[in-house]
Amino acid sequence: MTDPLETERPVQERKPRRSFELEETGFNEVPKRFRKFYRRWRGPGDTLGPNEALCPVCKVVIRSVKELRAGDRVYCMPCMSRLELVEEDGMLLAKVIY
Amino acid sequence: MSNQSNPHELGDADFHSTVHSFEFWFEAVEGYLHGRPYGVSPSTKDVELDERQREGLITTLCNYCVGETAALEASSGMIRFAPDRHAKIFLSTQVVDEGRHLEVLLHRMAQLGVAEPEAEIEKRANRSLLKFKDRLLDFVDARDWEASVLAQNVILECLEFTVFRHHSGTADPVTADMLRGIVSDERRHMGFGENDLGRRLLMAPHTHDRLHKIKRELDTLVLDTFEETLGELGVDRAERPDLAGDYLAAVARLGFRS
Repeated sequence: MTDPLETERPVQERKPRRSFELEETGFNEVPKRFRKFYRRWRGPGDTLGPNEALCPVCKVVIRSVKELRAGDRVYCMPCMSRLELVEEDGMLLAKVIY
Repeated sequence: MSNQSNPHELGDADFHSTVHSFEFWFEAVEGYLHGRPYGVSPSTKDVELDERQREGLITTLCNYCVGETAALEASSGMIRFAPDRHAKIFLSTQVVDEGRHLEVLLHRMAQLGVAEPEAEIEKRANRSLLKFKDRLLDFVDARDWEASVLAQNVILECLEFTVFRHHSGTADPVTADMLRGIVSDERRHMGFGENDLGRRLLMAPHTHDRLHKIKRELDTLVLDTFEETLGELGVDRAERPDLAGDYLAAVARLGFRS
């Protein structure tokens, strides 16, 4: 008999990642070629898209051309941090890797 | 082959060397400082402040000048004993940032009618902040890299980042515009500190206890400064930004618990 927990996870992982076309956001704190990969956090009413993560160090939103998942690594250029995405209580959080 | 315009596809070494370069700094600050004399857009209109607001702002700017002078003197001194060339180059960009911050703050004070800024700073400076500055410069004089980074790039920069960000949301338009440019610089300074110290603590965990003692000593000075500054700005206790949220979260990520 197959354990349902073992079958559910691979199905989730097989789902292809969505791709995103990034537009300029007005973020201007990194060199031009990198600017569309970041945006300002607009406060408590703001929400993150599936391709976005909030940098815990400098509170800038990091954006990716692909949907982000736990285990992904992204870079926050405005504060020079390397981050790894982890899932906690069903939420995707960015943690600093030193 | 990786796409060099997608930062997330850079290797760790390429990322590290890119963001610590003068080239990166130059292109970054160009985005938010170009065409903005003294950090303020020419289209930003100044408004008249009443006497109480003006006095409060001058005292606050005097204290910002103390913090920025501390960071200017400390970061320039730290270049001499920085452990590698990336840190030396990064600190050279921080020195330029801090010098600029001091200049725009003094310029704003002059706009507010302060004729002798040095005398005003001497008269109005927060005693806890002055003590903090002395301790920071002691660490630099002792060529103590870890303590200097903790005091300057983690503690002081985190305090400035939180206060300036909050103040830019409530200040008059010219001061707010100037502060937003400073906050953009502070992100790099703060991130450098946390990441450098984080790597060092992983390699030398025995330094943790020593740094924890230093943090405890400096905490009181930082929190006193924070409370006094927000009092000068007339921010109600209930509406004060959560320094504990930013600062304690940063030090907790480094493994320091209060």
